[in-house]
Amino acid sequence: MRWKAVATEAKLLLIGIPLFLWTIIPVYHLFLFAISPRDSATSGKLWPDHPTLQNFAIVFQRKHFYLDHFWVQLWNSVLIAVAVAAITLLIATSAAFAISRLKVRGGRTVLNLALFTYFIPAAFLAVPMYKTMGNYGLLNSQWALILAMVTIASPYCIWVLKQASDKLPWELDEAARMDGASPLQLFRLVYLPLMVPSLVAVGTYALLLAWNEYLYAFLLLSNDTSTTLAVALGNFLSADDSPWELLMATGLIYALPPAAIYYAFKRYMVGGLTAGAVKS
Amino acid sequence: MTTTVASANVAAAPPPAAGRTRDRWQFWGRMLVLPYVLVFLVFVLYPVGYGLWLARHPSSYVRLFDDPIFFRSVINTLIFLIVAINLKMMVALLLSGFFVQQRWWIKILSLIFILPWALPSIPTILSVRFMLNPEWGVINSVIFRLSGADGPNWLNHPPLALGFAMLMHIWKSLPFWTLILIAGRLAIPHEQYEAASVDGATTWQKFRFITWPSMRTLYVTSLILSMIWTLGDFNSVYLLTGGGPADLTHVLATLGIRYLRLDEVDLSMAAIVVALPLVLPLVYFMMKRLSK
Amino acid sequence: MASVSFRDVAKSFGHTKVIHGIGFDIADGEFTVLVGPSGCGKSTLLRMLAGLEEISGGTIAIDGKVVNDIESKDRDIAMVFQSYALYPHMTVADNMGFSLRLRRADPALTAQRVAQAAKILNLDSYLHRYPRELSGGQRQRVAMGRAIVRDPKVFLFDEPLSNLDAKLRVAMRAEIKALHQRLKTTTVYVTHDQVEAMTMADKIVVMQDGRIEQIGSPLELYDRPTNLFVAQFIGSPAMNVVSGTLRHQGPQAWVEGDGGARWPVAADAPGSDGQAVTYGVRPEHLSLAGPDASVQAEVIVVEPTGAETELLVQVGSSQIVLVLHGRSTVQPGDKVGLAVETGAVHLFDPASGRSLAAPSPVSRAA
Repeated sequence: MRWKAVATEAKLLLIGIPLFLWTIIPVYHLFLFAISPRDSATSGKLWPDHPTLQNFAIVFQRKHFYLDHFWVQLWNSVLIAVAVAAITLLIATSAAFAISRLKVRGGRTVLNLALFTYFIPAAFLAVPMYKTMGNYGLLNSQWALILAMVTIASPYCIWVLKQASDKLPWELDEAARMDGASPLQLFRLVYLPLMVPSLVAVGTYALLLAWNEYLYAFLLLSNDTSTTLAVALGNFLSADDSPWELLMATGLIYALPPAAIYYAFKRYMVGGLTAGAVKS
Repeated sequence: MTTTVASANVAAAPPPAAGRTRDRWQFWGRMLVLPYVLVFLVFVLYPVGYGLWLARHPSSYVRLFDDPIFFRSVINTLIFLIVAINLKMMVALLLSGFFVQQRWWIKILSLIFILPWALPSIPTILSVRFMLNPEWGVINSVIFRLSGADGPNWLNHPPLALGFAMLMHIWKSLPFWTLILIAGRLAIPHEQYEAASVDGATTWQKFRFITWPSMRTLYVTSLILSMIWTLGDFNSVYLLTGGGPADLTHVLATLGIRYLRLDEVDLSMAAIVVALPLVLPLVYFMMKRLSK
Repeated sequence: MASVSFRDVAKSFGHTKVIHGIGFDIADGEFTVLVGPSGCGKSTLLRMLAGLEEISGGTIAIDGKVVNDIESKDRDIAMVFQSYALYPHMTVADNMGFSLRLRRADPALTAQRVAQAAKILNLDSYLHRYPRELSGGQRQRVAMGRAIVRDPKVFLFDEPLSNLDAKLRVAMRAEIKALHQRLKTTTVYVTHDQVEAMTMADKIVVMQDGRIEQIGSPLELYDRPTNLFVAQFIGSPAMNVVSGTLRHQGPQAWVEGDGGARWPVAADAPGSDGQAVTYGVRPEHLSLAGPDASVQAEVIVVEPTGAETELLVQVGSSQIVLVLHGRSTVQPGDKVGLAVETGAVHLFDPASGRSLAAPSPVSRAA
């Protein structure tokens, strides 16, 4: 029997170790580059001879022309991500409440239409979206990116919130109605407080989606001072002798918030986001 | 025949209040769903319509088919779809079984495993790009030190470049689908496996007769959805290879943008429209599954 | 004055009619129980009164005013739900005061009313707790407190005790009854448990398949059921029922059952000789007799409950239940004779189920 247990552990490790390496190598490499000084970054060693935080200093002090607008762009990323999260929450929560609790006529249709958005691959929607924003006169305005991301994030958020809403007992609404609640009072005083975990999950999702977005930011915001950090990172690629270690350092800075936020809200994320996946 | 009155104390949701009051609730329902509907009309319906309108010139399609890059892109996309997606989903299925095992180190591993999905694409994809750099990238450096020979110029060989783009895509999206499949696995009652153990089933038999039948629907739905989304994975190809070398690793997603940057908007839209026959059957299957 | 009246009330879900023209009145201050098996329509009727279901036909009036088109919150009623429906994110005090808060009442007034209700229900020390910290019985009381604070014209209860264990149910029954005696508010109470109906009601409405079977006080329904359904539904253990043929021979009358049993009947019992009848007698109106009794039985099961003894006996192809006071020495397998209190015998028409002794069906809706 012991031999069977050992074999099982061995099999698990056989999966676990390669998986670990596969997952961590690109991330570790990123980290490695960021803490290496320019010359030795490309040496191919597993740990730099002289690990340094110099690169970060250079980034923060904007000592390279690619990084001229680092702080502005970082701020833009933050601003846009928060705006997207807030607006998506507002729109998606209202819609989910209307569809799930108020049973608005045509609610099912709206939900299906919303999900239809996901059946258009994002890269395909980008081009017409770009032209459309041009038509609306929004190009290079941060609103273009914000609204585009809200459009992309909303359907999934509505879907998840609706699934979660459906689980709330009906008697609560009835009791509230008997107590004299108007639709808005029901929404504000009964529904929202009970949906907080789902709201956190959905808000975090929208936040991360907007923060991590490249293509749309790249297309819709070409101005250096209004664009996001993601696009700035992409700009490094335009020359062959760019300071790669600075790029990686900036990249690491850019990558930290999403990782931190995800781990902070992990509890809500996994439950909330997979709620719609399995219908019991 | 006697009817069973669906008392509201049971799971089914009753329709809203009586009489005139229903209108008031419907009114607010409409008001609250309106913001999203507006967003949809202005930022989905209009762009889609406008895009289709931009793609109306037959001449665009003629030029499109004349472009050798286009056909190459289609083939690349198909390879990407068929190979990458299936590989990814099979691995996700395997891993879903792996991650439900109770071990302390597996739990820690599951936390790390999420990283590719949580982290933004650019730093990570660029990190891999640099690893593959023929002169100073880590991989070739290691090869040089081990064997004294120069490693290949990874991203300069179209098949290798495309392969790495696929690997990059898998790296990024595997965690998400694994999570979905894990949720599916957790929904299977534990007692079924215990009963099977008592009946003497092997691991493979348990998979075949318990796990797979329960997960099959979720798996196929995820597969189809993943195909649709992968068609739109711009980052993996663009940031790794830029579509190169010599525009040989373009997929339809990056091709559309390429034309856009060359100011050939109608070609761009035409390329997207041509991709529709790939997308629509998948969408059709998805809608059918979702309405079940 | 808070009377309630139902006039020809009907309800359909789509094409399926579930309530067929129900009409009856509830007087001010009356504790009325709607009782019946699952699916009989009692909850639906209650919910129509509450305004949670649309009324397909007929009218419902509270205090003389028709409320068909009036919203729940304007009907001046309060409801206690089966699952309590307490707001999980609010304290007991907030739960109870919610309705006043919605109307933007003066916080001091709200606090006072909540305190009053809490005192009546012994919830004073729980005011700052959350529902998840309370037991089932306590939650039930909070639900009632929420209703009391409203000070409505009518209290509605929708199977409030179904989720409680047996002992708690007995205790809560008494509490609800005491509450009613204290507040004297008109109450409509729905349950499927006839014991609750019997112990709490001033008036019981027995329903089946969307129709009223009988309306009356508990003892009226117990002693004079107008049909077989009510006879068997009310009373526990249920009434014994045997099919047979009525025989009148001179001054004597009996019902011939299978197995040669002759079930005694009062000499002035209604019905004619040779008529097929359903014979009904309650377990407590049977007793043991000698070997020359007209009904002979074999004991199958003996169930002593302490104060009484329940016997399950076999007569022909029927199983009969007896309830005897005190202890018995009878053993399973014994052959015993049965004696019947003929004054408590009920005869029913096998086809319609109607009692042969019943007057014309005033209470039975079409």
